[in-house]
Amino acid sequence: MKKLTLYALKHDRDNILLNLQRDGNVMLLQAAESASLAGAEELGARVETTKGAISFVGKHGGKASLLAGKKPVGYELFLNENHEGAELSRQIDSLAEKIASLRNEASTLLGQEEHLQPWRDLEIPLENLRETQSSAFFAGYLPEAALEEVSGELEGLPAEMEVFGESPEGRALIVFVHKSAGTKVKHLLKRHEFADVIFPKRTGLVREIIEESAEDARSKEALAAELEAEAMEVTKKKEELFLYYDQLVAKQERMQHRGEETEKTFYLEGWVRADRTEAVRRAVNEATDAFELNFVDPEEGEVPPTVMENGSFAAPYEAVTELYSRPRLGSLDPNFLMAPFHFIFFGMMLSDAGYGLILTILLFITLKVFKPQETAGKLMTVVFFGSISTVIWGAMFGGWFGLEWKPLLFAPMKEPLKMLALCFALGALHLISGMVMKMYMEIKRGQVWNVVFDQLSWLILFTGLFLMVYLPESSAGKYTAMASAMLIVLTGGREKEGYVSKLISGVLSLYNISSYVSDLLSYSRLFALGLATGVIAMVINTIAQMLWVVGPVGIVLAIIVLVGGHSFNIVINVLGAFVHTSRLQYIEFFGKFYEAGGKAFVPLAIRTKYMDVTK
Amino acid sequence: MLSLGTSLAFAGAAFAASLAGVGSAIGVGIAGQAGAGVISEDPEKFGNVLVLQALPGTQGIYGLLIAFIIVLNIGVIDGNIKDLTTYQGLALFFAGLPIAIGGLFSGIYQGKVCAAGIYLCAKRPEETGKGIIMAAMVETYAVLALLISFIMVNGVKL
Repeated sequence: MKKLTLYALKHDRDNILLNLQRDGNVMLLQAAESASLAGAEELGARVETTKGAISFVGKHGGKASLLAGKKPVGYELFLNENHEGAELSRQIDSLAEKIASLRNEASTLLGQEEHLQPWRDLEIPLENLRETQSSAFFAGYLPEAALEEVSGELEGLPAEMEVFGESPEGRALIVFVHKSAGTKVKHLLKRHEFADVIFPKRTGLVREIIEESAEDARSKEALAAELEAEAMEVTKKKEELFLYYDQLVAKQERMQHRGEETEKTFYLEGWVRADRTEAVRRAVNEATDAFELNFVDPEEGEVPPTVMENGSFAAPYEAVTELYSRPRLGSLDPNFLMAPFHFIFFGMMLSDAGYGLILTILLFITLKVFKPQETAGKLMTVVFFGSISTVIWGAMFGGWFGLEWKPLLFAPMKEPLKMLALCFALGALHLISGMVMKMYMEIKRGQVWNVVFDQLSWLILFTGLFLMVYLPESSAGKYTAMASAMLIVLTGGREKEGYVSKLISGVLSLYNISSYVSDLLSYSRLFALGLATGVIAMVINTIAQMLWVVGPVGIVLAIIVLVGGHSFNIVINVLGAFVHTSRLQYIEFFGKFYEAGGKAFVPLAIRTKYMDVTK
Repeated sequence: MLSLGTSLAFAGAAFAASLAGVGSAIGVGIAGQAGAGVISEDPEKFGNVLVLQALPGTQGIYGLLIAFIIVLNIGVIDGNIKDLTTYQGLALFFAGLPIAIGGLFSGIYQGKVCAAGIYLCAKRPEETGKGIIMAAMVETYAVLALLISFIMVNGVKL
């Protein structure tokens, strides 16, 4: 990784950034206090508008078709801002706004109508409903239970109560009263939790207003529907919108890099892979010849981002490693070794050839059609490889949709101990590979003695223990184990001060054997998860079988159980297999050697959501 | 007439399926409550949250699995229930216990870790994978319990 510094003229900046984005080789650093380029805010607003337009289009039948995948578009075409898309985005935005406001008004009117319903029979036009010289009135709602009591108490007072319809607030009513008794009636009503009504500022009889409002609301709704139909027309051109959106986002990313600037020039910093510096120089040179471009090694204390590069089999597994943490710069990229183990373990955990076949086909189609990018695509490829491995292991163990059929190796359910032995053997191989990786790294760093004391001694100890178990009559194993144990005790505390503490931590380091044992036992999950898949499939088959004999209805139910059950089993066990396989890598394998802590290399590049830019 | 042995085997299956199921139910419940809270803020996270909520569900499945093998072995499925000796029954009863108890507690604690993972996913969605892995650490012990239960059930010769 090299550090890039670039000085150039401000009027060339757009072109330089454009070329850098096209090639995607440079990760530009955000200068501490430098803001985005002028116009970035306005651009952000446009992105939001277009996003809104796309979601509006999606709601009106113009969803990006699920099977279509990304549409290819030429680079030249991609560079020219799509005016039709811009126009469309504005158009849809204003349409959406209009529709929303019409709907809003309509619902207000409907609310008003509902509010007025109890007052339907009021024979006084609303504008005439006010106090006169000698009389006042109280209009509002009274709880149903208090109605009789109030009307009783009103008797004998110069008041008249008129009762209308029911409403959620209570019974609608108006009390007309002579002003002399106004306060008295007011208190009386208040005591019974009378709530005043506020009539809308409208004129005419209530029932006329109700009809008017309903009519109004209907016509507004109809207008909104008409506009929506118009929008349907517009959404046919959604492709333009998608292209425009991707263009805007690409531009937005460019605009974040203003760099430091003077009146005429600007300055940018970034990271480039050491083998890509020439490509970067070419890209800048294409835009201008007035520039000063330098590549320097990172300084002490600077942490450059890390890039992993692998062959086509191991590359998808980078996503698994990234889920844990990237390797630190200069340490080992574990993927080439992790990939085969991940492949094997995933298949063993799922271990049903039928499921494997279904998954292989489904994922193959998905990968071909959707071409998922970046992490999602990599993870999907990992599962795809895993499902191929599942077919292999399923055939080995004879698992086909929970039925046993001609195992090539043996049936784990029948011979669990053999299966456990296989798991531990593979586990030992995995752990030893991890230790070998550590040894390689230490040797490269010149720490040969560390290798002998910390890894080799243990490997010899394991060999000795192995020999003791398998060749009990020969004493070679015993002596090998004892010699290596002595070596561990003598050297385990070599970093401590003083002979006593050296000896104590040496003896304690022998205790590490327990961590190796627990690491190894952890591989029993290979068997257990395979077991889970197989037995659940068996349960599903048994239930279906019981239903099948019942009759025609039973057969239908049995088919539902078979399809639904096996699908559920696949989903839950793919999740389980992936998670537990990854765990074996992270804890047991990486724990032996891996140096994490790298940062991601995120270059300035064209990242699209809908279009596939072809160069 | 069922023998005492057969009844004990039934008890073993019942414990395996029910206790592990209770563990999962509680675990999924805890995670689900956390999940609903996160989704109320950001409905787009439903996919990630659902995965995390589903994780503590496996203990119940493991329990069912052992219970199923027990009832299969004693002939409940095909209708010819075998007469077990008391010791055979007792052995099957004990064989059901590891996954019953292991599943019960690991389900509950996995649910708690998943709830925490769901909050993690709310704040830093890009790190959801790590939340899932941490939840899987708890599941290890259910897996181990399942394994030993299976080996024990398999070892009882009828």
